[in-house]
Amino acid sequence: MNAAAKGKVLRIQEYFGLAWKALRFIFARPFYATDLVQQMDAIGVQSLGIVLLTGFFTGMVLALQSAVQLQTFGATMYIGRLVAASMIRELGPVLAGLMVAGRVGSGIAAQLGSMKVTEQIDALNTLGTDPIKKLVTPRVLAALVMLPVLTIINNMVGIMGGMIIASLMFGLPGGFYWRTVWEQIAADGFTLTYIPNDFIQGLIKPFVFGGIIAITSCYYGLGTTGGTEGVGLSTTRTVVATSITILIMDYFLTQVLLSVVGS
Amino acid sequence: MSDRPRDAGSGAGGGAPRDSTTSDASNGEHGGAPQDRVSEGTGISAQPTETGNLGPSPGGTDTATGSTVGKGGVGSEPNPPSEERSAGSAGGAGESGGPARPPRNAPPGSGGRRGKDVGPRAGAPTIADVQAPFRRQEDQGPKQKIAEVRKAIRGALSEDRGQTGEHEGVAVIELDHVSLAFDEPILQDVSFAAYEGETIVVVGESGTGKSTALKLILRLLVPDSGQVLIQGQDISHLSFDEALQVRQKMGMVFQGAALFDSMTVFENIAYPLREHTDLNEDEIEARVREKLEFVDLEPDRVMEQLPAELSGGMKKRVGIARGMANNPQIMLYDEPTSGLDPLTTGTITRLIMKLQRELDVTSVVVSHDIRSAFRMATRIALLAEKHIVFFGTPEEMAASENEYIRDFLGGF
Repeated sequence: MNAAAKGKVLRIQEYFGLAWKALRFIFARPFYATDLVQQMDAIGVQSLGIVLLTGFFTGMVLALQSAVQLQTFGATMYIGRLVAASMIRELGPVLAGLMVAGRVGSGIAAQLGSMKVTEQIDALNTLGTDPIKKLVTPRVLAALVMLPVLTIINNMVGIMGGMIIASLMFGLPGGFYWRTVWEQIAADGFTLTYIPNDFIQGLIKPFVFGGIIAITSCYYGLGTTGGTEGVGLSTTRTVVATSITILIMDYFLTQVLLSVVGS
Repeated sequence: MSDRPRDAGSGAGGGAPRDSTTSDASNGEHGGAPQDRVSEGTGISAQPTETGNLGPSPGGTDTATGSTVGKGGVGSEPNPPSEERSAGSAGGAGESGGPARPPRNAPPGSGGRRGKDVGPRAGAPTIADVQAPFRRQEDQGPKQKIAEVRKAIRGALSEDRGQTGEHEGVAVIELDHVSLAFDEPILQDVSFAAYEGETIVVVGESGTGKSTALKLILRLLVPDSGQVLIQGQDISHLSFDEALQVRQKMGMVFQGAALFDSMTVFENIAYPLREHTDLNEDEIEARVREKLEFVDLEPDRVMEQLPAELSGGMKKRVGIARGMANNPQIMLYDEPTSGLDPLTTGTITRLIMKLQRELDVTSVVVSHDIRSAFRMATRIALLAEKHIVFFGTPEEMAASENEYIRDFLGGF
């Protein structure tokens, strides 16, 4: 095996090593509750605006495009179902993931990268603190919690945007629109023992995407070398890597979930 | 590496450098006369053997003695320095942090730079004593006369500082034949030891692995071979969590201070206390104030400031306060005076000496600043070409006739 291949294998090993440690530390003392709350605010609350905006306009454009096509078959009454299925299963998680990757992932990489090049990570080590426990675990946990929340909000806003288009432009009554949405996402009811497929797919994906965003951005941030130029490079790499990984993982997750829980 | 006796640092040979420096060879086998052997009555030391101070040559030979260092070498003809240069160097050394060192602001004549502290202090040799050998051998050549004067000054300084270089017990910090390489070798067969209360200053050109040595002591890096011992415990094979425990014995001051940007000065200094002690908030605040006052900062003025609002010198001082917050037994400094103006450099140097004097911590300082190094060092380690090429007292360094060392000192 040549040096380049060894290097890649080593990096993959480091990546999963970091992921494993970060997840393991969720259950190990000391718990950095303040850092966790701060990160939940940074990742979740502060991303709300961008997610609301994205979701709302995506829902509207989805309704618009769907309605134009469905009109041909006289099936505009299905706009609600189509918008709901698209938003909950695909667009909600993916768009929220991409938005958070761009906004939060780059921020995490830049912050940790700056800390690395200014020796603050070494300072943590010398002060007897594990930087992974202090810096990575709160970010990973916050992303795992907040991305599903953001996705749910994104879905709701998107479906609402679809309703506005369906009512104002295509004359579909609001009540009817919501009934079709409900039929789509919970046609067979919704109990503790039975969770509709749309919910399963819609909530597993953002959970995975949240982990990918936090771990990838921490990995690149902590691996920063080369001063401020290195920080910029890490930031760019983080956004590219997380975006691509989210899109690729979305496909494979969909395949797996469809085969496991059905369509 | 492992076949070398580990106790290179134990014992002997006066003149500290030889007992704990580089190789066995330097441990007396080839070293010639013991160093800093003090002549009775006069306080004039015998001629130390330069070879004893020299580690392996950059070329990689292990025998310390007779090896050349850099461009010069023991065997080569030394550049005969001017008398003034010699005295000046020694005087600078004399100002360093030995117990009998006069205060910096002492009046002229009571001590200070350019050899003045070889003056008529109680118990210290007089100028007449220092000049005696020179007068006795008036008929000798100028080189020999200069050598005699330098011997005399060295002896006087050694007496003045009261340092025999002999140490008992276990070294607080010891690097024992440590080698480390990444893509290429960084350190090769590096050994030195710091005993309780000592301040070891590691000097050398840029890129010679000085900061790497600190990272090895902190176990941020693990050597490829050799041992790093903290209070006798080899830390090379500790687990990550065990290493965190060991690091709590140490305080580290980084080149750029490495204060946490997102925290105030108070939170930065309180950080190790909150992490590792059971102190309540009142006790933590009292400790933070105490440390800020120790580094000559006004607590009420700076505690709530963010690092970005501080000047370079203030950041360094807060860095020192944070490093010492947990009252560590060991302090490590990475370029503590780099990028600072001469006055602030003096302030930081005095702080480091104050820390050693008042709290008796063992310190390792990595520095480019040879003037500060001479002021604060108990012993100086010179790194060149991945090796320790000199390890000894400032006086021995100042007196060295090795061409590389003289070039490095640059006329200091």
